[in-house]
Amino acid sequence: MSEQGIGAALTRVEARDKVTGAARYTADVVLPGMAYAALVSSQVSAGRLRSLDVSAAKAAPGVLGVFSHLDRPTWHRVPAIPYFGETRMPFSDDRIHHAGQHIAIVVASTRQQAAHAAALVKAEYEAGKPVPTLEKALPSAYVAAQGNYVNFPQETVRGTPEEALAGSPVRVKAEYRTALISHAPIEPSVTTATWEGDELTLYDTSQAVVVHRGLVATAFGLPEDKVRLVCPLIGGAFGAKTHVWGHTLLVALAARRLGRPVQVVITRKQMFTTTGHQPPTVQRIEIGAERDGRLRVITHDSTNSTSFVAERPENTVLSSVATYAVPNLRTRVRLARMNFGTPTAMRTPGDGPGSFALECALDELAHELGADPVELRRRNHADVHPQSGKPWSGKNLLECYRIGAERFGWHRRDRRPGTRREGNDLIGYGMATARRVEHHRAAESTVDIRTDGGVVVRTATQDIGGGTLTTMIQVAADALGVAPDKVTITVGDTDLPPGAPTFGSITSGSNGSAVRLAAQDARGAAIRLAVGDKGSPLHGLAEDAVDVRDGRLFAKADPRRGETYAVLLTRNRVNPLRGNGKYSPAESQYETSTFGAHFTEVRIDRDLPRVRVVRHLAVIDCGIVLNTKTARNQAQGGIIGSIGVALMEELRQDPVSGRALAPALTDYHVPVNADIGQIDVHFVNKPDHNSNPLGAKGLGEICSIGVSAAVANAVFNATGRRIRDLPITPRRLL
Amino acid sequence: MREKASTFAGEPEPSGPNRRTVLVGAVGAGVAGTALAGVGVGLAAPTTAPPAPQETLPVTLTVNGVRRSAPVDPRASLLDTLRDQWGLTGPKKGCDQGACGACTMLLDGTRVLSCISLAVLHDGQEITTVEGLVAKGEMHPVQRAFAERDGFQCGFCTSGQVTSAVGLLKENPRPSRAEISELMSGNLCRCAAYSNIVDAVADAARGER
Ligand code: FES
Ligand code: FES
Repeated sequence: MSEQGIGAALTRVEARDKVTGAARYTADVVLPGMAYAALVSSQVSAGRLRSLDVSAAKAAPGVLGVFSHLDRPTWHRVPAIPYFGETRMPFSDDRIHHAGQHIAIVVASTRQQAAHAAALVKAEYEAGKPVPTLEKALPSAYVAAQGNYVNFPQETVRGTPEEALAGSPVRVKAEYRTALISHAPIEPSVTTATWEGDELTLYDTSQAVVVHRGLVATAFGLPEDKVRLVCPLIGGAFGAKTHVWGHTLLVALAARRLGRPVQVVITRKQMFTTTGHQPPTVQRIEIGAERDGRLRVITHDSTNSTSFVAERPENTVLSSVATYAVPNLRTRVRLARMNFGTPTAMRTPGDGPGSFALECALDELAHELGADPVELRRRNHADVHPQSGKPWSGKNLLECYRIGAERFGWHRRDRRPGTRREGNDLIGYGMATARRVEHHRAAESTVDIRTDGGVVVRTATQDIGGGTLTTMIQVAADALGVAPDKVTITVGDTDLPPGAPTFGSITSGSNGSAVRLAAQDARGAAIRLAVGDKGSPLHGLAEDAVDVRDGRLFAKADPRRGETYAVLLTRNRVNPLRGNGKYSPAESQYETSTFGAHFTEVRIDRDLPRVRVVRHLAVIDCGIVLNTKTARNQAQGGIIGSIGVALMEELRQDPVSGRALAPALTDYHVPVNADIGQIDVHFVNKPDHNSNPLGAKGLGEICSIGVSAAVANAVFNATGRRIRDLPITPRRLL
Repeated sequence: MREKASTFAGEPEPSGPNRRTVLVGAVGAGVAGTALAGVGVGLAAPTTAPPAPQETLPVTLTVNGVRRSAPVDPRASLLDTLRDQWGLTGPKKGCDQGACGACTMLLDGTRVLSCISLAVLHDGQEITTVEGLVAKGEMHPVQRAFAERDGFQCGFCTSGQVTSAVGLLKENPRPSRAEISELMSGNLCRCAAYSNIVDAVADAARGER
């Protein structure tokens, strides 16, 4: 830990604002003359609109406008996918692809008027025959051609998988299913749009203001600099705000048409149906191994649902491709279209469901072999990337196993399932590996040092709860040699230097690197200014003979000789002194990933088999940790989210229509306070400088990967029952 | 060289300096004109939707110690009324279904879900929101504990959590950790800062003894 900030358990800079209600989120922005929109949803899941009668809605009190496909929106172009959700622009025709699809937008002077008028829109449908579920879609599953979302190999072959299977002394084969699950952030998606002539400003719940600006500009046929997106604080998203969805464009269109600002807060129901979800998957895995546990081959076939307006494969199979040293491999991903909303990235795309299947299959293999699950994984450790053969930029997975097993007390696990009891409880231990490819993105930042010694970081990223505002300040403070409380930060506005998205665990590594480069640039400029300035006590020194601490530049050889940034800049009348940082990830000789190991203890009442995770320990290798306080909190949250995925989360569908049966937080169960046992997190905390200049890697996703498998494996250890379908509800265990 | 930005082709495009007046013509018929006048003379609705109320009702509430009155749409929730009418945006709308707790307020000292409480039904009552817990610039002990313990991540559930915790400690000044977990379970935190939330409430409880 650096005394100047990196790694310190600093309290979040926005803590006071968040606990006093002063923090302003997108829905808290009120513009003069702002009107309120409500979206009307399709009641059927397939077919077309035969008629849409909006006369009553238009006549309702307070209504300013009602728009639908009948008003023929003149979209300029379909924005680039990914990051725009779908291939079909909203209101572009009368087709219905899923229940809940937006079919009209009503704008009125107040929320109540808009909601009321939306209920007056009368739609008549020519109902088609929907493909309701993944189960029903499976017969028509297909391998998608590359393009748009399909941006990874849909099929991979390594070695000679079929022969390897045939020659394997031990084989396990199983089919695993994960459920349709929903991000359910507490903040719904919100857009407020306002136009000044041809310039559009959007206050939008966006995980990537910079990326989204380009998409909106494309849709409207505007140059990018005519679109401004603002979103400093996101009230949670978990992927739901990774893409631009229809409502954002519709509100902008309505605002343009009506010539006044318009806000929409989409309903909780619409959150479930129109801002993506993690699609259900069916995954078949077969593993062939030697008797000593060495893997010979893995085959992994995965099918996930997608909508009729987007082809979005889940990269579940990457778990099998990149986690273990296995000489032979075959993977395939297929899509099956169903009449439901479009799926999207959800913590953690691909690896969440993929690691569930793979890590359960390994547990089945361990059981078959009579081997210890940790030992089996150690034996198959991938010293280099198993597909590319490149070295890892940094990998401490063996240490994760060692620390985890020790701290958890793994040796107390009984290999014979169903043997440990306490009172009426069955007790089980389970574990799993976590691995996530680390993504990098170009990002820019400026760092200004002012004559009063204060520092301002400016970068268009956003804070989703990962502590970004605080960690970016820590990074700047560390590089500049000032106390973190001298630094403030401005984010979430495309008028700022383009920062990184807040998804895919990109922020710490990529945006952190940009901030660090900017701070180093400013510090270097200040030192140059000082050594070249006759009025400075540092005049004449070589640049590398100067260091900075606590905002004071000084001669390394004689620390008494020096002056503060404030004095230097004031005398030279430089205000501010700006440093620029531009991080662009280079082609690397390394493969970069984050790693982790999860250990779980479950207890299950024998009469009412409700699984309780009483204890979970995660050891995470995500490079250097920028703030131990926020990191621990984030990791605990990711673990708890995945315990929800393991035990309770499922958006159930009507088997005939495919509609979500109960798109509400009363019925879509997420973990509540009383569900939570003891969650321990340990960080390896070694910088990975081969990955990026900062040596920090993403945390938001790695913490949640493998958790559901660890829970399922613990359930098997407790009961001898192998549950291969998520979630593991009491019904499945009865 | 630039093309025109997208709009709806179905109707003439509003233009000119006074956008407010333009939109009357834009939407066509007398409908928008009616809307702008702000009074409801809408046509009878040929659907099963409930009829729109024709009027507002006067409501007076004491909010964070300040008496406020306004004509309120009888359909408006306490949450929308405080947020839209009086700009108290601390309480959040998470679900509008009474399921998440983000909108928690204290009504005469008791925790309520303001998204499913109609403002007109609480005329004359006393409301405390998260903003009202700050006294003379000093954070309430519960707020301090949440800040110190990092009892949140995105912060969207936090005003509800904090307000709920204040209500909880009124109901039960010496809760055990298990009781805190149980009694805070009406407030969802999808970021799942739950253990820090329990720590924060426990700290505050100790401090308040
Ligand atoms: S907004 Fe009131 S309970 Fe969710
Ligand atoms: S802090 Fe994000 S929902 Fe609680």
